[in-house]
Amino acid sequence: MTWIKLDPITRRRFARFRQIRRGYYSFLILTAAILLSVFAPFLAESRALLVVYQGRVFLPTFQYLTMAIFHQTPPPGWSSADLDTDYNRLQHEWRVERFFYERERAEAGSDPAKLSALETKYPDRRSYVIMPLIPWDPYQSDFWYNEILNDIQGLLTAGNREGAERLARQDDLEDLANAIQTGTIDTILKDPKRSPSGDLAGLARSGTMSSLKGLAQVPPTGPDLRRGHYFGTDSQGRDVASRLLYGFRISIFFALFLTISGQVIGTIIGSLQGYLGGGFDLASQRVIEVLISIPFLYVVIILAALIVPNFWTLLLIMAVFQWIAITFYMRTEMYREKTKEYCLAAKSYGASHMRIIFRHLLPNCLTPLVTFTPFAIVASIFALTGLDYLGYGLPAPTPSWGEMIDQALRPENRDKLWLTLAPFGAITITLVLVVFIGESVREAFDPKRYAKYE
Amino acid sequence: MNLTRRSVALMVSAAALFRGQLSWPAESGKISAPAPAGPALLPKDIVWETANDEPPIGSDKAMRGGTLNLSISSYPLTFRLYGPNNNDSFATWNRAFTIGFSLVQMHPVNDKFLPMLATQWAVEKDQKTLYFKLDPDARWSDGKPITAGDYVFAWKMLQSKFIVDPFANTYMKEYFASVDKIDDYTLRIVGTRPSWRPLYDYNFSPMPAHAIVLDENWVTRTNNQFPVAVGPYVISGVVRGESVTFKRLPNWWGDKKRYFIGLYNFDEIHLRVIPTDRELDYLRQGELDMMAEPSVKNWHEVYTFPAVTNGWIRRARVFVDTPTGVNGFQMNLEAPVFQNKDFRTAMQYLVNFDRLNKNLWYGEYFRVNSFFEGTIFANPDVKARPFDPAKAREYLERAGYRRPDSVRNQGVWAQLRNVAYGLLFTRSDTDDILVNDKGEKASFTLMYLYKALENEMTVIQQDFRRAGVDMRLQLLEPGAAFQRMLERKFEMGFVNMTSGYYPDPRQYLHTDFKNSKNNNDFWGFGTKEVDDLIGVYEKDLDPKARMDAMHRIDQIIHDEAFTIPFRTAPFIRLVYWDYVQFPDFYLPLRTQQYMDYMVYWIDPAKKAALEEAMKTGKTYPVDTNMDQDYYGVRKKFQ
Repeated sequence: MTWIKLDPITRRRFARFRQIRRGYYSFLILTAAILLSVFAPFLAESRALLVVYQGRVFLPTFQYLTMAIFHQTPPPGWSSADLDTDYNRLQHEWRVERFFYERERAEAGSDPAKLSALETKYPDRRSYVIMPLIPWDPYQSDFWYNEILNDIQGLLTAGNREGAERLARQDDLEDLANAIQTGTIDTILKDPKRSPSGDLAGLARSGTMSSLKGLAQVPPTGPDLRRGHYFGTDSQGRDVASRLLYGFRISIFFALFLTISGQVIGTIIGSLQGYLGGGFDLASQRVIEVLISIPFLYVVIILAALIVPNFWTLLLIMAVFQWIAITFYMRTEMYREKTKEYCLAAKSYGASHMRIIFRHLLPNCLTPLVTFTPFAIVASIFALTGLDYLGYGLPAPTPSWGEMIDQALRPENRDKLWLTLAPFGAITITLVLVVFIGESVREAFDPKRYAKYE
Repeated sequence: MNLTRRSVALMVSAAALFRGQLSWPAESGKISAPAPAGPALLPKDIVWETANDEPPIGSDKAMRGGTLNLSISSYPLTFRLYGPNNNDSFATWNRAFTIGFSLVQMHPVNDKFLPMLATQWAVEKDQKTLYFKLDPDARWSDGKPITAGDYVFAWKMLQSKFIVDPFANTYMKEYFASVDKIDDYTLRIVGTRPSWRPLYDYNFSPMPAHAIVLDENWVTRTNNQFPVAVGPYVISGVVRGESVTFKRLPNWWGDKKRYFIGLYNFDEIHLRVIPTDRELDYLRQGELDMMAEPSVKNWHEVYTFPAVTNGWIRRARVFVDTPTGVNGFQMNLEAPVFQNKDFRTAMQYLVNFDRLNKNLWYGEYFRVNSFFEGTIFANPDVKARPFDPAKAREYLERAGYRRPDSVRNQGVWAQLRNVAYGLLFTRSDTDDILVNDKGEKASFTLMYLYKALENEMTVIQQDFRRAGVDMRLQLLEPGAAFQRMLERKFEMGFVNMTSGYYPDPRQYLHTDFKNSKNNNDFWGFGTKEVDDLIGVYEKDLDPKARMDAMHRIDQIIHDEAFTIPFRTAPFIRLVYWDYVQFPDFYLPLRTQQYMDYMVYWIDPAKKAALEEAMKTGKTYPVDTNMDQDYYGVRKKFQ
């Protein structure tokens, strides 16, 4: 703000904005959220924040560390040198090692031979994993709910009780693990009241074993704190909270970039129109009229058919149409301001056009710019969400609010409340914050409060 | 009538076949009088054939009467079956009930030819000249007999430019050399080329010559005219934009015929215009009697309301055996990344069909194995490659793709760059994609046509990514996407094509189409060997030679690995009120849509009982097994 000197009125306007608490706190909250979202990989990511493995420390958030490094068993068919580590599973596996170690040590008593055998049997019990708050990235499909009972059932049928217990224990199915350990699982499965079909899936469906509730179920699955799906999963089993966060990050930055570029271009063109007037004004007004009559959503859809849009191309396409609205206001402001005495004074001193526009006139024309910008942000978020909803925005599987709303509105998901509440809640809160800010800014910049009419 | 629909499919493929190469011949305005014809055309030594002992299509338990309420997705733009807008969703119904009746039909279970409008037929040795004895009982809905003249008229009419129907025009010209009247009830049809399936290729529907005035206004004049019907129903009334009602003819001529027993049981069929996603709501209100459920998710999730749990509304998943058509992921052989066969084979091993089936589709679908899936020509030895990342890795290595070294050994600066990149973008763009010796990434774009496919595609994408292959997704509007497929401006595309009873490999695989664009050879595939095999399939009169040729083509396609076969749903999910009754077999084996063969009926006693039960709240026993597989179709997939 050194180049553009704020006059006392503007400074008073900012002070006034700070006094309107609703807007000011909204501004603080939103800024904090934006800053936090930059660090989303530390908040929601399937890679761990920190791994301590056999005395070595790893920070895997931005690293590709294969399963081989941690000696993790890959899923069937895959090779361990070929896959990124599954840190969620790693965490559970090591915790179970600790559990088994504790149990067997209690059984072993003080026999030193047994104790040292345990040391070598459970080498990873001192290793640990610290996961982010939301331990899921926005792309990964989690079919655990549907598959885990099949896996345990397979081990049970094969007679591998210890493996079955380990698996159940690993995924916090405590009462199932205990039943397998004590051997009561056989009698439970034979009881048609508890499991009509005689297998674990039947047991889960009958609801008589509390830890199995919600298992044997295809996505979308409901909110589940145990597994870290705080807002449930979507139709493909991806974590809703994680997608929400990354969706916010994309939406808000898209909106900010789009709005800033649009307002800057619009301000420059509008100012020039107003200041220069005459032929330039006439010609550029006609160009704007042409642009304004093009339905921009259709243009984006047509262009999306020609190229696979990414963040920047989509931004570019939309920026072509974004700058128009503000030009009208800047133009009229300039027309008014340039007739005032201070402008004539600057001219008589021999100031250049650029200097007059940007140094003298623009600071006095800021009101519409500042007032309309928050609402332009709202419009940008809406535009991106709308495009994604239609499927012509950022390509799948980019996390996006529009895509989440589309999922929520499908007939088969009508009763999946978490799918509806999450994106609508997020969009409502964000837009409300932006609108609060906008209203406060408008109030702070209200010319009636400070303007002196002579 | 089913045959007619297939020939429409054939017509479409024939038109696609010749698109761009045909010039429309200039036609003189009026249709000339039928060419001189007579008994002289009939040779002495021909052998008449017929089929009077095949099992009937319908059930003798069927009861006549009642009104059936069904839904259509949009109000018909026209009631014509030729000319502009003739192929909307309503046309299927219109064909099935009123006008889609031809000389012979194929038995929907054992595939034998049955009399329909002709009682007897004969094929000359040249395999392209056919003679038909017409059924003298057959009547138009206005009472006039159906004679040979009506067929000759139909032949001329479908070639006329007045009907504004290039598809029909082309089809007629390409397939039929002449249609001649021998006497009022004897007909000769000459095809343009010899065929080993002449009854299938040269089958034909009549048009009512006495009721049609063909001139330049025909299209507009007949837009909203109810057609004179051959079938048991005529359109009796419409409410514009809302509904169409079909009424059954009293004393329909077909009622006495063996192969119409137990079919067309309703006195009235009422079609209401209802958006597809609202169908169930209307059914629940009792405003529809039955519907087909298209969504597997709905089938398992939404049928929990009282009418279902009380047993008032019933459901059946009826297994049928129909051609699947080309289905799945198509790789463009002209795209650099797919020119390597090992790379293509690796892609085949990376589609985890079972995981999708288990976790997204409730285990309901089946894997397509053959290029000719669902037809008699499918090679039983060809099996789709199962998900096997180890094999995929092996093939990828053979194709020269390996993990970039930079993923493993990173210095401090690279790590910092990763952090900055990861903070600015989402990480999926950054690392671990395979590269080959030239430094090219194992990366391509998958084009798909419907947003609903996103579920499957994103899961598959994640599997590919774990294997180090970057598959980007691009959703395109169906028209634009399909055009790109035809012009081979894509890398990988997901499409489903329909197929006729006899597959048509030429339009997909022949070298002629490899060398030109804008045709159904999406892959740009064609070899001399396959050309020869297609020749054998099309011309050889020995069924064994044809079968062997098709099996060989199937094997070659499997080995070349340019198409990843995906899923098939060999069933129709029916939802209906308890009073709608079905035969033991539910629907004939070759049913594609449930109105193809109207074998079901309404039992008035059950209807009354149900109304009573709903008043008193009486519940019916619910059958938990909804799978109806009378013909053992499911066995084929195990």
